[in-house]
Amino acid sequence: MTDAPAILAEDLVKRYPVFGGFREIVRRPFRRPTTTALDGLSLKVARGRAFCLLGPNGAGKTTLIKVLTTLVLPDGGRAFVNGHDVVRRPGPVKDAVGYAINDERSFYWRLTGRQNLAFFGSLVGLRGAGRDAKIGEVLKLTGLEAAADMRFNAYSTGMRQMLAFARALLTDADLLFVDEPTRSLDPLAADKVRSFLRHELVDGRGKTVFWATHDLAEAASVAHEIAVIDRGRIKLQGAPRALADRAGATMREIYERALAAGNGKDPRRETSVTPEGEGS
Amino acid sequence: MSGAPGAAGFAAKLLAFLRRDFLEALTYRFTFVSSLVGILMSSATFYFVAKLVPPGARSLEAYGGDYFSFAVVGIAFSSLLGIFQEGLPSVIRGAQVAGTLEALLVTRTSVPAILLGSSLYSLLFQALRTGLHIGLAAAVFGLAFGRVNGPGFLAVLALTALCFLSIGVLSASFILVYKSGNPFGWVFGSVSGLLGGVVFPVSLLPDWIRWVSALLPVTHALNGMRKSLLASAPFADILPSVLALAAFNAVLLPLSLVAFRLALRKAKKDGTLTHY
Repeated sequence: MTDAPAILAEDLVKRYPVFGGFREIVRRPFRRPTTTALDGLSLKVARGRAFCLLGPNGAGKTTLIKVLTTLVLPDGGRAFVNGHDVVRRPGPVKDAVGYAINDERSFYWRLTGRQNLAFFGSLVGLRGAGRDAKIGEVLKLTGLEAAADMRFNAYSTGMRQMLAFARALLTDADLLFVDEPTRSLDPLAADKVRSFLRHELVDGRGKTVFWATHDLAEAASVAHEIAVIDRGRIKLQGAPRALADRAGATMREIYERALAAGNGKDPRRETSVTPEGEGS
Repeated sequence: MSGAPGAAGFAAKLLAFLRRDFLEALTYRFTFVSSLVGILMSSATFYFVAKLVPPGARSLEAYGGDYFSFAVVGIAFSSLLGIFQEGLPSVIRGAQVAGTLEALLVTRTSVPAILLGSSLYSLLFQALRTGLHIGLAAAVFGLAFGRVNGPGFLAVLALTALCFLSIGVLSASFILVYKSGNPFGWVFGSVSGLLGGVVFPVSLLPDWIRWVSALLPVTHALNGMRKSLLASAPFADILPSVLALAAFNAVLLPLSLVAFRLALRKAKKDGTLTHY
């Protein structure tokens, strides 16, 4: 499995059920309207890279991360993390990945940072002195040693984000998923996060960071490789500088062209049932 | 990093949940004190209400004849059963609302371990509270134990716990898919409070509705517990309650496990596992 790419996705499809309205329920009670989040998405990410996934809101970024972290089951296609099938072998996949959930509600606010890490450390199989040593290591790595025994509810937004990284690193995972990690951070805190992910984790420790973001400048500055996703499909993939040189364009122009490519359709993603009066 | 394999790993994770909830509980300093005051107030209320019921009332003969003892055992154990029944769906709902469920699910921890672990502290706390309730009622208000049938009581308690955990798993399955509104909680909670013989014997109910009581596990659970604790009953007298609870378990246990597996798969398929 060591030669397997960090991520390999082939024709991934994910549709979510949606509420089609009461009229639709009456007209077709046994039909479930759906919306397509991933529409035959294929992607390959090599190990040891900073990989940025760019795309507009609702493009499928978070759904892709949730499929790759086993939180959501795909409806079609296959996906592998470090060579492990995310549907058939979720256990090894969970061992191989760290998901830095940036929702501050995912922590226990009345516990300290260290107590939170001890709890999640136990859930990933760490015990006793080994767990304490690991917690000390990730606290040092994320610069939270001095704040370790403060309650989480006293942490700043930036500290909460760093604690999310610390938690994701407890598993020693090769692959870290981060979803808009600099959202709602001040510029200096955002720079610190970018530097930590790229220089400390990728360059320093050889980890793969899969980074979903809206920020084109951020992607250009940190990523070995970027991909643009729209309507559940990858529209473009490559190294930022190579893409810019080849196209003779800025990142923004490249991004806009990628989104425009093949978009002859209504920009809303299709659903299997169209609400009345909106056409198809 | 899959951790210690098998039972040892499972137990270590349960302990981690227990420690987490204990540490959180320590930050709410007056919970235990207010709980004790509540127990004393409830016991005192029923101590005086019991003075309205003449000792040896016919409807209480099967349970030792003392209304205060009858009511305290009913209230104390129905609270414990309520936690068995409501603990699991509360855990799911609470983690969905609080936002911690996703963080738990990305670890290599099985959903049964998350459910059981997250409800363990409240189960143990309520068990302690039930013990205190009975103990305080005996020490302060003179709750009248009979010759306690220990094995009979433990058999009834074990079957009751399994039965109400199964109902809890059914409720959790419902919450996983539908997020709110738990019909099992309503049927086995509210209806049981009225028709299950918690504070008055079911023999007082009109004939036309008494048959519903026989369909509620709480009726058989409290019947068996009271007889084994208060009425010096031999095992033969407790056997009907044991058999009824075993029958409930034969249906509810497999049903709840299948329902939970289907609900979990549906929630992961719909992508709504962490929605609320």
